[in-house]
Amino acid sequence: MKKILTLFSLLLFHYSAIAQSFNYGSITQEDINFDKNKIDSNANAVVLKEFGTARLQIDDATGSLVLMFDYHVKIKIFNKDGFEQANVIIPTYKDDIKQEFVQEIKATTYNYINGNLQESLMDKKAIFTENRSKYNSLTKFTLPNIKEGSIIEYSYHIQSPLIFNFRQWEFQSNIPKVISEYVAFIPGNYNYNVLLRGFYKLSDQKSEINKECLRINGVNIDCSKMTYIMKNVPAFIEEDYMTAASNFKSAMYFELSDVQMLNGSKQNITKEWKNVDNELVSERRLGSQMKRKDLFKDLMPTILTNTTDDLSKAKAVYNYIRKQIKWNNYYGKFSEESVKTALDTRSGNVADINLSLIAALSAANLDAEAVILSTRDNGTVNKLYPVISEFNYLVAKVNIGDKSYLLDATEPLITFGLLPLRCINDQGRVINLKKPSYWIDLKAAQRSVTSYMLTGKLTADGKIRGLLTTTTSGYAAFNKRREIKKYNSIDEYVEKLDESLPKLSIKKHEISKIDSVDLALIESYEVEFAVHDGTNKEQLFLNPFFINRISKNPFNLNERTYPVDLGASSDERIIINITLPEKYTLQDKPKDMAMALPQAGGRYLLQSSVTDNVLSLSQILQFNKAIYTSEEYLYLKEFYSKIIQNQKTDLVLKSTN
Amino acid sequence: MRLFPFFILFSLCFSVCIAQDNYDAELIPSALRNRANATIRNEETVVDMRSPNNVMYTVKQAITVLNKNGDENARLVLFYDKNISIKSIKGEVYNEVGKLVNKFSQSDFKDESAVQGFSLFEDNRVKHFLPSVNTYPYTIVYNYEIRYKQNLIIPDWVPKPASDVSVEKSSYTFICKPSDQFRIKTQSLTTSVDEKVDDKQKVLVWKVNHLLGVKPEPYSPLKETYQTYVKIAPQQFSYFNYKGSYANWQELGKWYYDNLLKDRNNLPPATIEVIKDLIKNEKTDKDKARKIYQYLQDKTRYISIQVGIGGFQPFTAADVDRLGYGDCKALVNYMQSLLNVAGIESYYCVVKSGSEKKSLDPTYASMNQGNHIILCMPLKGDTTWLECTSQKIPFGFLSDFTDDRYVLACTSEGGKLLKTPTYSMQNNLQVRNANLVIDNNGSVNGTVKTIFSGTQYDNHEEIVGKPLTEQQKLLKEDYNIDNINFDKIAYLQHKDANPKITENLSLNIRNYCAINNNRMFIVVNAFNVIATIPEVRNRTMPVYLNRGYTDIDTIVYTIPETVIGIIEPIHKNIKSEFGSYASSAVLDGNKLTYYRKIELNEGTFPAESYEKFSRFITDINVADNLKLIFSLKK
Repeated sequence: MKKILTLFSLLLFHYSAIAQSFNYGSITQEDINFDKNKIDSNANAVVLKEFGTARLQIDDATGSLVLMFDYHVKIKIFNKDGFEQANVIIPTYKDDIKQEFVQEIKATTYNYINGNLQESLMDKKAIFTENRSKYNSLTKFTLPNIKEGSIIEYSYHIQSPLIFNFRQWEFQSNIPKVISEYVAFIPGNYNYNVLLRGFYKLSDQKSEINKECLRINGVNIDCSKMTYIMKNVPAFIEEDYMTAASNFKSAMYFELSDVQMLNGSKQNITKEWKNVDNELVSERRLGSQMKRKDLFKDLMPTILTNTTDDLSKAKAVYNYIRKQIKWNNYYGKFSEESVKTALDTRSGNVADINLSLIAALSAANLDAEAVILSTRDNGTVNKLYPVISEFNYLVAKVNIGDKSYLLDATEPLITFGLLPLRCINDQGRVINLKKPSYWIDLKAAQRSVTSYMLTGKLTADGKIRGLLTTTTSGYAAFNKRREIKKYNSIDEYVEKLDESLPKLSIKKHEISKIDSVDLALIESYEVEFAVHDGTNKEQLFLNPFFINRISKNPFNLNERTYPVDLGASSDERIIINITLPEKYTLQDKPKDMAMALPQAGGRYLLQSSVTDNVLSLSQILQFNKAIYTSEEYLYLKEFYSKIIQNQKTDLVLKSTN
Repeated sequence: MRLFPFFILFSLCFSVCIAQDNYDAELIPSALRNRANATIRNEETVVDMRSPNNVMYTVKQAITVLNKNGDENARLVLFYDKNISIKSIKGEVYNEVGKLVNKFSQSDFKDESAVQGFSLFEDNRVKHFLPSVNTYPYTIVYNYEIRYKQNLIIPDWVPKPASDVSVEKSSYTFICKPSDQFRIKTQSLTTSVDEKVDDKQKVLVWKVNHLLGVKPEPYSPLKETYQTYVKIAPQQFSYFNYKGSYANWQELGKWYYDNLLKDRNNLPPATIEVIKDLIKNEKTDKDKARKIYQYLQDKTRYISIQVGIGGFQPFTAADVDRLGYGDCKALVNYMQSLLNVAGIESYYCVVKSGSEKKSLDPTYASMNQGNHIILCMPLKGDTTWLECTSQKIPFGFLSDFTDDRYVLACTSEGGKLLKTPTYSMQNNLQVRNANLVIDNNGSVNGTVKTIFSGTQYDNHEEIVGKPLTEQQKLLKEDYNIDNINFDKIAYLQHKDANPKITENLSLNIRNYCAINNNRMFIVVNAFNVIATIPEVRNRTMPVYLNRGYTDIDTIVYTIPETVIGIIEPIHKNIKSEFGSYASSAVLDGNKLTYYRKIELNEGTFPAESYEKFSRFITDINVADNLKLIFSLKK
């Protein structure tokens, strides 16, 4: 005990002397006794201290500018679920020209046993490098002798030629942090745009001048020493119905804006959109490909056969590209090969396909533009200034009359004008070959609509026989078409559907407009199912929610931190008309309901009646927004709860015979 | 002179005739298109065992992809490492009518690490490629050649790789020296092997034709029990720098022990002292072992490691002692070493893990049947099994991960096949008792006590010991009822070879019983509704129920005074060869008692009984959804 205290005071002195990273091996009594209730009683492990520095330096070997990043962390592990913190993976980038290097890995486990602090230094042999793929390497290690209560400490150094994004810093991770500090040394002639994302604010921020931190061609350059500190950062916990974690996680991002050259000139790196526009338009992998009308000239007469107006032309071109080029499942805002190669090999990434589409639309004399965007899992993009690296996808926009349509030709089964859900993410930037670029909202062009109509007869033995017709459009149709296409034939699909519903049997079926993806998908099934066992003929209890009964609440938790993102607004309608077997009067029924979410966010309507021996029920369930705030979560929960309660109740019919 | 041109003509014709198979998709018989997304037109696999450390594996495969869903079957995936080198890959793509449209080679393949999750490894890599074609059908022809620097593991020949793939014809040729000895195991072959021997080599050829695509059926037996295969195990083998010979499990286990396990048990003196001290007051070997097991669980954790003699050799006990981690091999070896200190005998056992019960084949010994290691202590007749990779699992309990199957014990006397314990339907028990009070508004609150045992021990095991907010979340998934809230959560664990978890919950469910006008609706089976299973028409496969269980639920509701307490008692009994079900709802005063018991047997039943099985489960589901309707006093 005594030994540690002396050690502690010594280190404290040392620490203040350099006012930098904490010393390696400086485990204090405070660390050992750290009570997790101070930060989060649920924590499996807590970052006691985390420190990083990044600076630009000249690499002596190559003479080029490199980024030196040092990372150092001290973590206390509380239980077995926290053991995974001792498995560390450091991803690095490499390609034919550039490579990042991880060096000087040091890792130690400290166990406080019977008043003694036992140190286990990790053996260098425990470090492995995995060449994950062509561009990625993973450096992996695990710390020795991990126990409940262990403190682990590790540090490493990364040398990187990738200076454009400097080095981002995540204040928030899957365990809480007591203190996370990042110091960035940025040479005076380098200008970075800095962005803090997430829900939490910095606890402290400092900016100092660091004299002569870098020497280029014999010239000494001063640096700004930027210090960013966040204290008591909660763990980041993902929730259902949310977009990319990076939108919400507290982290610091950098992007190189401009460099003041030593000769006095200024080289802009991150620019204004007008400069970026020029670059993108002349970019070989983007603008140049948009211009390849020539490739489609000869094909156009065939493609446009039987088209009349511009809209039918656009659809014909869209369908041609979708059929002609197969998506290789890679995203991209830039063409991987070229439009020509994509056409020749009939395969390409997202940009290859949609740039082909743009070129083909132009060849058909239509006004087509490109839209670059960031997919939902990639996070939203910065709107203050152009950060091209944040975009990872490209779609086409065609303008016909006063209307415009966003098109993605990677999905053969989606309706014209509807983007796949992955693209519905905030805003995208429209790139035009001749005009300045501009932002456009990426919203679902159609709501997801499903309607069910059941018309039938209830027989004396308690069975309903009738015709169920389902009409779907928007994403609902897209998803259903994809599901149906998983089977080799409609018969196989229906067979599977019928088999999966053991209480219902499908006697006949007809599914139309499967391949006419611009039209609503219509399924009709002749069905039979039991609703009561037929024993009590005097009084019938009948639950009329035969179709899509809601029994589970999708919003079952007590609190919500982040917005609920459903992607698209939706509308579900159910109409039921059942002829009853004999004279029945309605004794009781589920309450007719009309309720709405605040600010017209959604509504639920239910009405039922029996007239002339026909039971009629109609129900509408609408969600008018794609995104609900975390405050609205409890409204959604209660909304569903009310529906569930009502759907538990039955119709009561009394025989009048 | 005259003969010469004739000869040329003849040979030309000959080469044209055999050089090119016809890949016109029209030629696929319609029976092979049925239920198939892809058809293997022709596959020729040749294993040429030139010497124990030089085995050439050559495959020529032509596969026609019939529709988009068959695309993945055209993907070629080849694993390699230091011992396996890919000598060549080339291929062609043919269109619907069998015209060559494209060629590809090794450079088109993606090369990636084959490691998944967190693992410390040495070069396990994979090359894969999927040609991009979007008009169907199309045909891919692959030719590749792989060299194995060992012959301990010869890849099994399984001509039909998936249910949605049909096979027109496929052959397997095994070539070795006439003097080479090996064992063969085959299944579901319709023709016998064609064998040719001359002075230089022995050639064995197996062929299959017309294997049909099939619809996957739920509750089917394990495919290992019916699919067509040929497995070969050479007697004399070479592996890394080891040489050996085996003809049965006894000899393989002996080689395993002598070469990969022996002399890896040494511990540092300090640890030996710790163990001796730890067990000094324990009387029986079992008690000693229990203490040592606790020591192991406190000291170590599991890390996947794929290094050392093809991933078969454990880290030494001294390494684990120093590092405090290891994989299944290393941790079992370490535990064995610790037990040695106490003089307790134990066996290092190779097992095929997973909730599907897959045994090592008692009739055919080979090296590639297991994927996990467990420890067996004979303890003079009180055989006790230890899973050494979990810090939480009870002493002597294997769970459904390794239960009821044959494993290979590698001992100094050689290998023996042992059977792990079976957890029976009667013992795989979940017993729930709940007392719930319904108030005038239909809200419910009360207590629920559930005891989980047998293989059901694991049902809520992951919730035990989690932080409170996490427990709340997980319980809401298991008891997914609208408006449910847990006021108190407590767990009790009884850890031994027949472990139990007792879960005590205090909960409330707002508006659980819906009220409409003058009626109250009570869904009495609040917590345990069986899910329906698909019906299957024209069932072809036997019905296989992997593991039986018993659930007993008793819920006593106190109904509010506002309710008119009249209902007819309800009793439901369903019985079949698959098990039995009984439920009842009886009102006595203001106490409404719901009781439900289900027993599901394990076993294999004929294909035609599937319909009955599906009805059995559907009937239970209907009974489980029982809703009682009470009138309210006015």
